[in-house]
Amino acid sequence: MVSATKQVPESSGPEDAPDPATRRGPEHTDALAAELAALPFRARIWRRRGIIVGLRVARLVRLGLSRFFPALRYVGRSLQRRWRRSLQFRTVLTTLLLAVTSFGAVGAYLSNQIANNLFQERLTQAESETRYNVKQVQDTFDGAQVTDQSSVITLVYDTLNAVEGRGSVIQRRYVFEAKPEQTKPRNRWVESRASDQLTVSVIPPDLRKAVQTSGKDQYWASTLIPVGTEDRPGIAVGNLVTFNGTVYELYLIYDLNTAQQTLDEIQGVLLAGGAVLVLMIGAIAWYVTRNVVSPVSHAALVSEKLAAGQLQERMVVKGEDEVARLGASFNHMAASLQEQITQLATLSQMQQRFVSDVSHELRTPLTTVRMAAEVLYDARHDFDPINKRSAELLYNQVERFQSLLADLLEISRFDAGVAMLDAEPDDIVQVIAHVIEGAAPVAAEYGSEIILRAPADGIVAEMDARRIDRILRNLILNAVEHGEGKPVTVTVAANQTAVGVAVRDHGIGMTPAEAARVFDRFWRADPARARTTGGSGLGLSIAMEDTKLHNGWLQAWGNKGSGSNFRLTIPLRQGEEIDRSPVQLEPGDIVLPDGRIHTNFLVLEPGRTTSPGAATSAGAGSSAGQASTPKEQP
Amino acid sequence: MKARILVVDDDEALAEMIGIVLRNDGFDPVFCADGGQALDVFRSSKPDLVLLDLMLPGVDGIEVCRQIRGESDVPIVMLTAKSDTSDVVRGLESGADDYVPKPFKPAELVARVRARLRPGDQKAPETLRIADITIDVAGHTVKRADERISLTPLEFDLLVALARKPWQVFTRELLLEQVWGYRHAADTRLVNVHVQRLRSKIERDPEAPEVVLTVRGVGYKAGS
Repeated sequence: MVSATKQVPESSGPEDAPDPATRRGPEHTDALAAELAALPFRARIWRRRGIIVGLRVARLVRLGLSRFFPALRYVGRSLQRRWRRSLQFRTVLTTLLLAVTSFGAVGAYLSNQIANNLFQERLTQAESETRYNVKQVQDTFDGAQVTDQSSVITLVYDTLNAVEGRGSVIQRRYVFEAKPEQTKPRNRWVESRASDQLTVSVIPPDLRKAVQTSGKDQYWASTLIPVGTEDRPGIAVGNLVTFNGTVYELYLIYDLNTAQQTLDEIQGVLLAGGAVLVLMIGAIAWYVTRNVVSPVSHAALVSEKLAAGQLQERMVVKGEDEVARLGASFNHMAASLQEQITQLATLSQMQQRFVSDVSHELRTPLTTVRMAAEVLYDARHDFDPINKRSAELLYNQVERFQSLLADLLEISRFDAGVAMLDAEPDDIVQVIAHVIEGAAPVAAEYGSEIILRAPADGIVAEMDARRIDRILRNLILNAVEHGEGKPVTVTVAANQTAVGVAVRDHGIGMTPAEAARVFDRFWRADPARARTTGGSGLGLSIAMEDTKLHNGWLQAWGNKGSGSNFRLTIPLRQGEEIDRSPVQLEPGDIVLPDGRIHTNFLVLEPGRTTSPGAATSAGAGSSAGQASTPKEQP
Repeated sequence: MKARILVVDDDEALAEMIGIVLRNDGFDPVFCADGGQALDVFRSSKPDLVLLDLMLPGVDGIEVCRQIRGESDVPIVMLTAKSDTSDVVRGLESGADDYVPKPFKPAELVARVRARLRPGDQKAPETLRIADITIDVAGHTVKRADERISLTPLEFDLLVALARKPWQVFTRELLLEQVWGYRHAADTRLVNVHVQRLRSKIERDPEAPEVVLTVRGVGYKAGS
């Protein structure tokens, strides 16, 4: 659009004009009057139609948007994701945005400059042409010797027609209007005259005012002129001319259409060129970033595969640039990683094979020794006292050696990582009852009673019954051994996530320091009396390993003089997390004679104890108030 | 008549010791130290039970077990030094009825041998049915329709135990006691493996058993 250096608001609508229709030819007057009369009615109809159409369009748009929005949101979200995750996408998009912005700015500036120049050129031309034509008109009017009406009209019309230019193309249009409010006697035959389709209303009022008040100066303004069915931009240049003493305003109007067309063409070319350039820049940015980013994303892919355990994965190295160096050093890293992991795996395999071989090689002779010892032991009554005692010692120590070896081999299986959980649903109460039955002879020997407190209908949990049996056998025999003949209570309970077993004795108990080490290998609370109670010193360590295999907890509470409490908690279903244990770690039945209590908690979480037998002490208090674990305490 | 027991073990000291214990308890032991000759010795000596070491030079115990099982239903008890699940299961799957982990006590060994040698109890003429299977207890035969199904004595005992009380769910421990004759349950994997083997012989589709049903979390029962 051609922008005028002097914008004059366009006056619109025939009603606003000072009723020029009445001054036109009589043939126009009737039609126009009828049209004017019908206007308010038509306007009402059109307004209603407009409202109806508007409402319909609004409804359609709303419907379309409601269908369209989810899709739009999806596209938006996937674009957002790409923006976050793809460096290349981000770079290309940023480049495109910047390119479009800068091309827009440059294009706007260029087209503005061109438009101004075109306009200025046309204006200069229009002004000089006007000056010349006005002079011609004035000269013709001045030299005219006409007095009668028809010749005056003819003269004025001919003169004005001559202004439009020769030939079939109209070079300029005119509006010829008597200056209003003249005091001098007026030429009453010619009041106004204009080119085809034009009225005085196309002339901006400001321009008219300026022309009317100026005298001899020439003024211009940009305006819109109706040509055919369209409104075209134009320049109106106004002057005053005198005819027979009457002052007329003469406006010559120049069509800017050709200039506008030229401008449109230039703008089109600019736009197309810009679009092509933007696309090319986008493509270049895509290509360049791809060259840089693709090795990086390749490296990311390869390292992901490496991390997933595909150790033979390597990067492709081409050339000698930075990317190739990255690839080479990456491959070097991967190779040394693979070497170390393979070495570790081999070591672990060797360890396993060693354990297995030791197992076999030791067990076969041990079996022979054991059988021989037993045969001798069975026949000991026929021996003299020295040989008899020797046979007894041999028999007992072979037994002890055997259990020690079995425990050692079991521990080494855990260390080698070959221990597997063979879990299936089973009733833990039955397992416990079975263990208690098995421990009954030992309990009778110590004079202890084992009390089972369990729900009558049992608790089914996913577990490796063999390992749970071993853990509980260990805990219960331990409790009986250290229970000093007092009753041992086994409590079983379940909640939504876990089943808990607490084994409580009322024997000598443990100090905090002792309780903290109770799961350590070969650790004994009292070295002086230890060896007599048998056991390898690995029982609780194995119990801890078995518990960890179940993703369970094994915890110990102890109080010197009040006995101790061991709690086993395993998830009801393997793979699920334990929320909290259904049984209490600190027993509620302890009596405190002097108000002082030595309590200790040992909380072992499967995830945190990485080294075998390592124990994490979660809290050790010396008063009853402090003695509560924050999380597990029901 | 003394029961003859073939001891296949490459460790001479252990074999001799086993021999002493067995003889002491009134058995007649025969020895073989080489897996390759085990089958020949088995054929020539016709033992009532085989004690078989899993780790043997030449042909290993599992292969020997398979060979013997290929031509006889004689009870086989494995002697294993490894108590790893995979080894035990492999041994049981190859056809052994029971296993004794080293180091074992003489009494333990003898108890297992006796349990496997139990004379066919006092089998009264009795016909049992599970699903479409017919069991003739005295005649020691199992039939589906008129087709005879060959089972080892242990598998037969397992099936009979289940069939006698079709209303009862047997825990693995109970089966160990009734079928294997253990007072204190040792290893319930024995039961699992033998149920699988039994199913592979008597079920139409071992994946969807109809004769021996699993009761999840408890044990097994006879199908109706």
